[in-house]
Amino acid sequence: MSITAETAKAHAHDPAVLCCRAEAGITIEPANLEDPAIFDDLVDSGLLNLDGCLTIEEVLGAKLTKTCDSLAPLTADVLDGVKAPSVSAPAVEEEVAQEAPAAAAPAAAVPVAAGGMLKIHIGEGKDIDLEIPVGALGGGAAVAAVPAAAVAVADAAAPAAAVGEEKIVGTLTRKHFNITEVKRGPETKIEGTTLYIREGIEADVIADQELVKDFKLEIITPELYHTYSETVMDVQPIATKEGDDELGSGVTRVLDGVVMMLTGVDEGGVQIGEFGSSEGYLDENIMWGRPGCPDKGEIFIKGNIVIQEKTNMERRGPMAAHTAFDIITQEIREVMKKLDESLVVDTQELKSIRRPGKKKVVIVKEIMGQGAMHDNFILPVEPVGILGARANVDLGNVPVCVSPLEVLDGCIHALTCIGPASKEMSRHYWREPLVLEALHDEEVDLCGVVFVGSPQINAEKFYVSRRVGHTVEMMDADGAFVTTEGFGNNHIDFASHIEQIGMRGVPTVGMSYCAVQGALVVGNKYMQYMVDNNKSEAGIENEILGNNTLCQEDAIRALAMLKAAMAGEDVKAAEKKWNPNVKSTNVELIEGACGTKIDLVGNEQELPMSEKRRLKYS
Amino acid sequence: MGNVQMLLRQHVGAPCAAIVKAGDDVKKGTLIATPTGLGANIFSSVYGKVAEVTEDRIIIEPAEEQPDEFVPIDVPEDASKLDMVKAAGVVGLGGAGFPTGIKLNINLAETPMGELDPEINPELPADFKLGCEKGYILINAAECEPGLEHNIRQIEEQCDKVIRGVKYCMEITNADKAIFAIKKKNQKAIKTLQKALENEPAISMHLLPDIYPMGEERAVVRECLGVNLTTMQLPSAAKSVVVNLETAAKVAEAIDEKKPCITKNLTVRGKLNGGNGAHVFMDVPVGTSVGELIERAGGIDGKYGEIVMGGAFTGKSTDFDAPITKTTGGILVTVEFPDLHGANVGLLVCACGGNEERMREICEKMNGKVVSVARCKQAIENKPGAPLKCLRPGNCPGQVKNNMQFKKDKCEYIIIGNCSDCSNTVMASGPKMGLKVFHQTDHVMRSVGHALYRTLKVSKQVSQDIDF
Repeated sequence: MSITAETAKAHAHDPAVLCCRAEAGITIEPANLEDPAIFDDLVDSGLLNLDGCLTIEEVLGAKLTKTCDSLAPLTADVLDGVKAPSVSAPAVEEEVAQEAPAAAAPAAAVPVAAGGMLKIHIGEGKDIDLEIPVGALGGGAAVAAVPAAAVAVADAAAPAAAVGEEKIVGTLTRKHFNITEVKRGPETKIEGTTLYIREGIEADVIADQELVKDFKLEIITPELYHTYSETVMDVQPIATKEGDDELGSGVTRVLDGVVMMLTGVDEGGVQIGEFGSSEGYLDENIMWGRPGCPDKGEIFIKGNIVIQEKTNMERRGPMAAHTAFDIITQEIREVMKKLDESLVVDTQELKSIRRPGKKKVVIVKEIMGQGAMHDNFILPVEPVGILGARANVDLGNVPVCVSPLEVLDGCIHALTCIGPASKEMSRHYWREPLVLEALHDEEVDLCGVVFVGSPQINAEKFYVSRRVGHTVEMMDADGAFVTTEGFGNNHIDFASHIEQIGMRGVPTVGMSYCAVQGALVVGNKYMQYMVDNNKSEAGIENEILGNNTLCQEDAIRALAMLKAAMAGEDVKAAEKKWNPNVKSTNVELIEGACGTKIDLVGNEQELPMSEKRRLKYS
Repeated sequence: MGNVQMLLRQHVGAPCAAIVKAGDDVKKGTLIATPTGLGANIFSSVYGKVAEVTEDRIIIEPAEEQPDEFVPIDVPEDASKLDMVKAAGVVGLGGAGFPTGIKLNINLAETPMGELDPEINPELPADFKLGCEKGYILINAAECEPGLEHNIRQIEEQCDKVIRGVKYCMEITNADKAIFAIKKKNQKAIKTLQKALENEPAISMHLLPDIYPMGEERAVVRECLGVNLTTMQLPSAAKSVVVNLETAAKVAEAIDEKKPCITKNLTVRGKLNGGNGAHVFMDVPVGTSVGELIERAGGIDGKYGEIVMGGAFTGKSTDFDAPITKTTGGILVTVEFPDLHGANVGLLVCACGGNEERMREICEKMNGKVVSVARCKQAIENKPGAPLKCLRPGNCPGQVKNNMQFKKDKCEYIIIGNCSDCSNTVMASGPKMGLKVFHQTDHVMRSVGHALYRTLKVSKQVSQDIDF
């Protein structure tokens, strides 16, 4: 399709190809040119040969001397008045690749991948002085002149002199209690490191909700990991507030070594999931150690719930399941509140730190709000509890601003999303890697976290994304992250959030599972900085619980990329097809620049192969 | 002759309200329906008796005798020329049907030049000025729908009347210049016009290339004046009014003869007994049935595909009983459709051709299955549901992306409704990608012996010299 003057400028160094037949004598203008975005496909299919093709900046304003047909590459022999090219873009790219490692420190930029949208940073060429007005960043009037070769300054805010004092705006203390054994007994109690769960509590769970038709409780110890299970709906930490402390502040008590796990089907045996489900042997279907998943070695208090037939895809079904299951957790919480301090094995202090003068960033987390299990209870009284929380759908999916500590204290009770591999379960928020990385990164000032629901209807999607845009605008943020879980339908609002923030001049890094199966269905010009959460070997949703969720390695890449974007660096456009090498290249770039090793997590290849995976996905 | 059916909606705007009832006697020129909003008077086109008034039409049983005399329009002695045009119910006969009395109700001398969008006028100098002092009447003589010949025939045969009408239009609108936009291929008509305009310094000709579309209103403005209008702008933004030449002639009739607008010139053509040459019928009473006109042209030759009312690009399928209206320009009988045996088909909808509904109809008649629909990038829907308008008529914006969509959606065939230039672009990539291309006008083109719309072989520029 013909392009506008603006697009022509953005693609000044890309090949100039006529979109349509043009007659001898015309002056080449943007409307005569085809959009370079589609050339890869055309070259691949043999429709286009770009040999000898001039660039767009060279041909604009030149006179065509010969009538040429649609898709003719413009070459020197059919034009009069070709302009000289400016900096040759491809040369720069190469230079950086070779010299960047040699140039001791340069940071840079980073990259990354999204379904068919991998992006890599390109630095500039030689002999370019970058002048960064540090004063503008708060304090200090120094001007850093970075000389020479192959530069890639990402941390514009780095110079030590230039910043304000750190400010601690909140603290949250986590007291850890260790559990090594879970047993049934006449009452729920904790003795030493043994947790007893009251016999017969199942009847209370069933009685609590009309839609709950059956319930079984199992204690899964590591020896029992090879147990068959229905689909895993949620994994939750067992935690409670001390006294009248509010979520996100004060003291939270948490049990180590044990998690709550909710699994379920409806009376007809249909798994309570939508796009895939993770039923099967637990050890073949859980990606250990993902933020939302159990860690290997932990004991699961696994409740399998059966809800009324056909309510699995209605809102009330999953809601009833979660509400009823929380009866058990709540009974444990009550016991925890009374535990003696002497049983505390570890105390951890989480601080919410503001860093005035550093680049202000915000994390926007898109959570599901289409209904059925695609919902989230926001801000319960207890960590990942039910009581006191409001359902995202009931709030109209509008943005809700929370503090980083509220996130880490379990302010989201997730009914979760499509796709076992990409859904963020309740435990994910408790250990949210991007919030943790951004909070601890001394080069940025994390001002808060915005949760926004993903409604079912497009009109509502744009309603909420406009709210997101205004919310971020009010924050005067310098940069933003937009994360999402799942893929497909929610990518529409995911893209719209990025657009709404991006159009306000705030560089925005998007994070999602994309790769092959989750390739973005929509896009816009603000989606220049994408990080792919994919971990699976084939780039697919393979129903392995938590496999493709946001991990620390993704958070590190996203932070590096956002810093590059905020510093005005270019990030190289994505390759046309998903290429896992882009991620590894980016990781190496960061490792080289920061001198640290990034440990990458494994994927399904480490798990015993399940029959389902063998049949469906290999 | 069979019953005459006067549709109550023959123009842009709301349907008219009937002012006669069953049993009433009517003459040629009897006022039978009046506007209820934007619209134009409707007169009986025959002598006879009203047989029935239904929701959307007045059905008249014609008398045996049909004298030439007509009831003149009822206007006061001192009525202005514009009032006479209004009273006569003249509408844009080129097909759009906008009431001419409303269109001409403009003082071009006092109409300011509209703001021109620089994005679509990149070559216009900053100090651009039109070549007129007050304004232009642009006469649309492009007759762009392939196969139709009645417009050009009228220039050849009634040049004086047309020019009189043009001068009236100039007078009413205060225009100081007029330009006939006519395709250069119409050599005889051009010679006729050239002669007639020898002593008319204010009226000139602009010669058009033989590509589609040249008759689109904004294309006429662009070709004659070099100004591109946005899809929302009217020609008045270029201090111009565009009128079809047949409309100009009707304006002359309304003023000189006080004659109401009750007849229409048209071309009947296609798969007819006696060959596929054009049958041009002048002054056919509005309301005459399609079937009657096909019979007058010799009748259908064997099996046929469909009957199109209007042109191949913008017309619609019709049947024998349908009546012609003030805006009917063609009745085209087509050859049979090819059978695609349920193959996957992509539709490329464009402002130049049929709307999506029409394209789907053609696909269905070809026994294809629509699996993908794309719209030309330049086809703009000004308001939801409004007819598409082309941003730069006749200048393609590129089509390869649409072809990629069709390929992705597994189309075997595509049906396109594009102009000459866009069709050419589709052909540059479509067949190479393995898409078999049909144009929505193919069956009509085959029927009238016109080349199919595929690759473009002629230039979009023609010299303005009358060098033949």
